Amino acid sequence: MSDAIVKIRGTRSGLQLSFAKDADYEAIEKEILQRFESGSSFFVTGTEVFVSKDSLPHEQIEKLKRLFHRRGMRFRTEKHAAAHAKGKEQQQDQRQPAKEAAKEPKPGKDTSTEPQVQQMVVINKTLRGGQEIQTESSVLVCGNVNPGAQIIAGGSIDIRGTCRGMVHAGAYGNSKAFIIADHLMPTQIRIANLIARSPDVVEKTDKAERASIKDGRIVIEPIER
Amino acid sequence: MSEVIVVTSGKGGVGKTTTTANLGVGLAMRGNKVVLVDTDTGLRNLDLLLGLENRIMYDLVDVISGRVAYKKALVRHKKFETLFLLPTSQVKDKSAVNPEQLVQLCEELRKEYDYILIDCPAGIEQGFQTAIAAADCAIVVTMPEISAVRDADKIIGELGRADKENIKLVVNRIRPQMVEKGDMLDMGDINDILSIECIGQVPDDELVVTSTNRGEPVITMENSHAGQAYRNIVGRICGEQIPFMEFPKEGFFAKLKRVFGR
Repeated sequence: MSDAIVKIRGTRSGLQLSFAKDADYEAIEKEILQRFESGSSFFVTGTEVFVSKDSLPHEQIEKLKRLFHRRGMRFRTEKHAAAHAKGKEQQQDQRQPAKEAAKEPKPGKDTSTEPQVQQMVVINKTLRGGQEIQTESSVLVCGNVNPGAQIIAGGSIDIRGTCRGMVHAGAYGNSKAFIIADHLMPTQIRIANLIARSPDVVEKTDKAERASIKDGRIVIEPIER
Repeated sequence: MSEVIVVTSGKGGVGKTTTTANLGVGLAMRGNKVVLVDTDTGLRNLDLLLGLENRIMYDLVDVISGRVAYKKALVRHKKFETLFLLPTSQVKDKSAVNPEQLVQLCEELRKEYDYILIDCPAGIEQGFQTAIAAADCAIVVTMPEISAVRDADKIIGELGRADKENIKLVVNRIRPQMVEKGDMLDMGDINDILSIECIGQVPDDELVVTSTNRGEPVITMENSHAGQAYRNIVGRICGEQIPFMEFPKEGFFAKLKRVFGR
């Protein structure tokens, strides 16, 4: 029942919220707060939340905005930012949290109105144990991902090197996301809401592999590249 | 131009202090003016390895707090005229020294010495952060053991976060026979994960233990393989190109895969 008041949909750029037609603001806010409290992995700091401008009266939108801002999330009522970011790769130092760089779409770069847009975070270093990349966009790593490192991406993950860490693609619900690595031997692979772990004895593969969801399971297959 | 080198590892017991002592002696044997700074406050060992415990008058904490000038606290080595030790306190703890203070001290030491080697405590907490603050270059010591390699990886990441990009690797306590049998990580496995320049492969050697107990670093022993490995590392620090040695195996030389640094 309660799901009907607030609907959350994962998009490439973040979360899209829509509300039941007849729901009053109090109920919506209560519902959202409940989601926060439940520790849902959707609402993490830096997440972009999109609410259509005309789904609620202006002052209620403003209230919601403050609610999300207090939790460190970004709040938008228009789709423009996603369009701006089209085709842009963000060079990114691994010392900065990925989400910081993704936070500022440089305006006026590309104003195409194509709805399917992708952002990518590029990491030009080896990710070492304890380092974490968390972003809503896709991730390209030119280097290895070592055991103990984590990548959590809203989109897909491409590793030009060996992957031994924990990788989570489509972390905000995109089950079409995939993971590619030259040597794919991660401790765990997660795509959308599925988890697969490595066999207890890991062998080094000599071919690039790709993990994706097929028939509700994570499937790994060799690819050429 | 003087250089500040921090010797670190993350994991304890892999041979940071042993490596610091040996490299210090090796650099001094080549005529450099060297000072070794022990930052493992509360658990000081470097003085023991050099056999200088009974000559300590003042320590790092006295110097940092301004009680004495650093020259008063330095202990000159018995044999090597150009080697000095700045011991730390055994009674205080890591909070007694902060990064800025150590940076300032190293700036002063730079004026007088060619090499300043800092012996880092284990862990990634405050003591580590203090020890690396002043360094131009870091030597990460690890062992062919999965936990030591994992910790070294973490440490390399931490060093990167602190903008230390000049990082070298020393793999300590290699047991050639075990590597040969495939029971121990080999250099290929380690380089695969850590992917930083390796400047030393030191075999496990009983002479290291006996020399440690006597307070005479193994690098001074002509017949020791570990000593030879340390002499090679010193050469590489000084910019020489030295191939990695092959390890002895029950009388003859095992053909080990040579792994050259990039």
